[in-house]
Amino acid sequence: MAWDLIYWLICFCIDLALFASSLYQYVMLTDLEADYINPYELSSRINQLVVPEFVVHIVFCALFLLTQHWFMFLITVPITCYIVMLFVKQQHLIDVTEVFRVLNTEKKCRLVKLGFYFSLLAIIIVRLAISGILFPRSGSEEFDLRASFLEF
Amino acid sequence: MGTENPGRPNFTTRPATAPFAAAPQTMMPFSSSGPVVGQEASGFRPPPHVTQQTPFSSSGPVVGSDAATFRPTPPVAPHTNAPFSSSGYAVGPQTSPFRPTPPARFNDPSVPPPPTSSVPPTVGPFSRFPTPQYPLTAQAPPPRGPPVGQLPFQPPAGQAPFQRPQQQIPSVPMGAPPQSINSAPPSVNVFQSPSDSSFPAPPPNVQASFPGFAHKQSSADPQAPPVQSPFLTHQGNYAAAPPAVSSPFAAHQGGYAPPTPGAAPLGYQSRDHMQHPGSGPPLGAVQTLTEDFSSLSIGSVPGTIEPGLEPKALPRPLSGDVEPKSLAQMYPMNCHPRFLRLTTSAIPSSQSLSSRWHLPLGAVVCPLAEPPDGEEVPIVNFGSAGIIRCRRCRTYVNPYVTFTDAGRKWRCNICALLNDVPGDYFAHLDATGRRIDLDQRPELTQGSVEFVAPTEYMVRPPMPPLYFFLIDVSISAVRSGMIEVVAQTIRSCLDELPGYPRTQIGFATFDSTIHFYNMKSSLTQPQMMVVSDLDDVFVPLPDDLLVNLSESRNVVETFLDSLPSMFQDNVNMESAFGPALKASLMLMSQLGGKLLIFQNTLPSLGVGRLKLRGDDLRVYGTDKEHPLRLPEDPFYKQMAAEFTKFQIGVDVYAFSDKYTDIASLGTLAKYTGGQVYYYPNFQSTIHGEKLRHELARDLTRETAWEAVMRIRCGKGVRFTSYHGNFMLRSTDLLALPAVDCDKAFAMQLSLEETLLTIQTVYFQVALLYTASCGERRIRVHTAAAPVVTDLGEMYRQADTGAIVTLLSRLAIEKTLSHKLEDARNSLQLRIVKALKEFRNLYAVQHRLGGKMIYPESLKFLPLYGLALCKSAPLRGGYADVSLDERCAAGHTMMTLPVKKLLKLLYPSLIRLDDYLLKAYAEADDFQSIENRLPLVAESLDSRGLYIFDDGFRYVLWFGRVLPPDIAKNLLGTDFAAELSKVTLCERDNEMSKKLMRILKKFRESDASYYQLCHLVRQGEQPREGHLVLANLVEDQMGGTNGYVDWIIQVHRQVQQNP
Repeated sequence: MAWDLIYWLICFCIDLALFASSLYQYVMLTDLEADYINPYELSSRINQLVVPEFVVHIVFCALFLLTQHWFMFLITVPITCYIVMLFVKQQHLIDVTEVFRVLNTEKKCRLVKLGFYFSLLAIIIVRLAISGILFPRSGSEEFDLRASFLEF
Repeated sequence: MGTENPGRPNFTTRPATAPFAAAPQTMMPFSSSGPVVGQEASGFRPPPHVTQQTPFSSSGPVVGSDAATFRPTPPVAPHTNAPFSSSGYAVGPQTSPFRPTPPARFNDPSVPPPPTSSVPPTVGPFSRFPTPQYPLTAQAPPPRGPPVGQLPFQPPAGQAPFQRPQQQIPSVPMGAPPQSINSAPPSVNVFQSPSDSSFPAPPPNVQASFPGFAHKQSSADPQAPPVQSPFLTHQGNYAAAPPAVSSPFAAHQGGYAPPTPGAAPLGYQSRDHMQHPGSGPPLGAVQTLTEDFSSLSIGSVPGTIEPGLEPKALPRPLSGDVEPKSLAQMYPMNCHPRFLRLTTSAIPSSQSLSSRWHLPLGAVVCPLAEPPDGEEVPIVNFGSAGIIRCRRCRTYVNPYVTFTDAGRKWRCNICALLNDVPGDYFAHLDATGRRIDLDQRPELTQGSVEFVAPTEYMVRPPMPPLYFFLIDVSISAVRSGMIEVVAQTIRSCLDELPGYPRTQIGFATFDSTIHFYNMKSSLTQPQMMVVSDLDDVFVPLPDDLLVNLSESRNVVETFLDSLPSMFQDNVNMESAFGPALKASLMLMSQLGGKLLIFQNTLPSLGVGRLKLRGDDLRVYGTDKEHPLRLPEDPFYKQMAAEFTKFQIGVDVYAFSDKYTDIASLGTLAKYTGGQVYYYPNFQSTIHGEKLRHELARDLTRETAWEAVMRIRCGKGVRFTSYHGNFMLRSTDLLALPAVDCDKAFAMQLSLEETLLTIQTVYFQVALLYTASCGERRIRVHTAAAPVVTDLGEMYRQADTGAIVTLLSRLAIEKTLSHKLEDARNSLQLRIVKALKEFRNLYAVQHRLGGKMIYPESLKFLPLYGLALCKSAPLRGGYADVSLDERCAAGHTMMTLPVKKLLKLLYPSLIRLDDYLLKAYAEADDFQSIENRLPLVAESLDSRGLYIFDDGFRYVLWFGRVLPPDIAKNLLGTDFAAELSKVTLCERDNEMSKKLMRILKKFRESDASYYQLCHLVRQGEQPREGHLVLANLVEDQMGGTNGYVDWIIQVHRQVQQNP
């Protein structure tokens, strides 16, 4: 059980990091729109985050696969495909010369990611709670049932 | 005085004036005047009714501030004359909104003709009236009728009005210009239209007062009569007036009636109603007037079964681009259209309206356009007062701001905020509310001014003009002779480089290595330093690579003299272009400036090396084609962004005879406000002259350094996208490291609010730049445009030139992400949609049948659309234009100002042989040859000699049976040879000299490019094909439509239901 707790803690941290990165990028883009930051700074700040974020996400996804959390894996897979596609097409970086033309799409994209990571965060917290709080007292059948139900 | 009074203060109100202008037809409008207008209108009404007083009183309520002023007047009013006179004079203060145009005229009225006599004279003016649409001007004043003027003027009053009309007429050529072609009557329409929506109400009154009038107008042509009527009323003699008027009218009608045939009289009334649903029933009749559209009958031509058109009847822009005048007349303090052109001078009042305007809504701005001599933009230095700007929206002070509170406050015309007038800028207001120092304040009277910017507008000391030349010296560059021409040209321009004595200059050359030149003034000869480490480029010397030209003049000259010989034996075929670019950036990043790249070999070494693209024919026509028009390597975009960041503008001169990837190189120019010059297959003997002139122009034209541009506009409207060569630094700030008079920028606007509450939208373009002299300046162009509620009005006020410019930029941008065909189709679709919407406006009331209808203002749009589809960036497919030429043409068209673009799309074709044969023709007798011909093969007579001029090159076309002596005189002994090998030069005979004079004259009229003269003989293929025949845009060729077919196709699509 302790492993499970640790596992979900790690997932929690990773997801939180991804969430924070998306949030940061979104705020940056909003700042650009309001002219608080210039496109050069914006693109250098965001671009240095993009690849690490992709890597983390892929690790995240792989982690679910390896630990056979199929449901979690399936919901993270579409985004993995999407970022791999972006990377292959070399469209993952912000183009400083055309930032303003793609500003709205980029913002929308970040917003979707934010929503996604947020709901993921919620699921992970539940799992964390189950593994951390419920399992120590999991002698009772009732709880076991619920746990297995929650174990998607 | 009158003129000035109207002065700026009133401007805010302005919007109202517009409606008035419309009023012309309807003097009547006054009486009924719509709510808005109402105030002023009320002022007017009085005249019509003998008792003027009443009107005044009524007027008061409507207008807020103005009204107040008015009220006092009523007492005076009793005298009929008085109101009038007062109106003219008084207007100044109160009418502010109106005063713009009319005031000037008013003063004149002082001339004292006896009132009684006035009646007869009136008639005279009337006849002219058609033009007068301006009545508004006159009217404007009246509303205010401030007490001041009234008494003195009373006697003259009647006259005054009269005089105006007369005077105005000359000034207002307007009526005719726009619509002239389609239908005689249209002229009137133009004016009216603006106001129509607002004015509907007025008519009723008129009618009431002059029943006779109303009827007449409604039935026939509104134009002339309406205007007059107001005047008549003023005179005060009622009885007399009507008769006089009537007669003129009748005359007019007769003349006009014929033109209108297309539109049934009935149609008019009904149409009006449609247009102005809001307006009360009365107006309909009055406004009707002339035709609101032009039409082409597309029915079967007698004798044929196929539906067809008479090709000769199609509209053609043979007189070139005509700048729209109606806006300038409505708002005389607007900047000149050469600086700013709106795609329509009537801004839609709601989002739903703007969504029915299917053409782009926006503007084309050319902030540094060259004004003709004597019209230079005035320079204003506020000194210690600082530049007067609105606190909130940062708008610069302009002619449309209003001063209040005895001159201590001014109201921003864009955001309506009340600002304090700084002490140093304070001036008292005179009785009419205008500043007493108005005459000394160009910023308050002119739409274009330049402010000298204080230190707050600098982030660093103003930079000196700096030119850095990066020259390819690989073997192909040497062989083409490019280096020699470039070196000679630069040397000859050293004296004329702007900014002496601060100008800085530097050189680097590259092949497989990069060479720098130390030109320290203490040296006698430049020292060359070679950097061969391409992976880690460095600058070998911290300074002295960029030197002050005046100090190092001798070294620079020595260098330029020796440059061609230095590399004449170079056999290096490589090009380390990317590393050289990086080195230039390092060198120039301190100061910024202008980087001129002379490039001859495809970059092959180091970063930014490029591959041969586009030789795989299978790619063309598929989804993989458009990436060929985009930069291959992100390096170029990154470099462009860096260049802009460090205030470096890049001009690219490309000379290669092989593929040289203009798509990638052009990116450098695109994001740095530069320009691409492409000389395919450059040979100095043939193209040397062109390069020499264009490089000289590039170096010597007035350039604005480290510039940023922003365009502001009123509340509720926002510019959403920008098109041209620049980089956006924030959502609405264009960074332009170096910009000059040959660059124009297009932008689209959208409405942010579903309904606009303002009646006038103001636009203000501000370009903050460093002049070559080292002064930081802000060039400000201000323009106002009325907001309308009527779609028909938007179409009537459309500006084809600006629309075509925007459409072409959008289409070219589309080719970067879509197939060529998609770009062409979407262009056609837009034109069809626009015409369909326009047709729907009139389809109900008129039996249009097979007619194709279009607004007079857009009569050339289909043709330009066709020409655009056949222009180099959009034409055909793979085989029609080489990839490089397509990209180069695309880059060029993205910067061209309106006039040049239209010339390129519809070049002029002129027959020369008659002129050359005329012995007596004087050197300056060019009128006879400025007779442009339609671009169809039938225009070319095989006995003639023609010149084809698209602004970038001339083609002299020799007919097959051209009299041999002409050819002999022009070409000397080569006349029978193959013309591709012959160059045109001046020969020792009158005819040749005359031709050269013509060419010189043509070139002088447009200095931004040098037109090389190509010679071609009829039937000489394939040269004739690509030089001339492919550019006859009205002809059918290789699967593209001819003009007639195009019109029929567009017409069919317009008629199809959605």
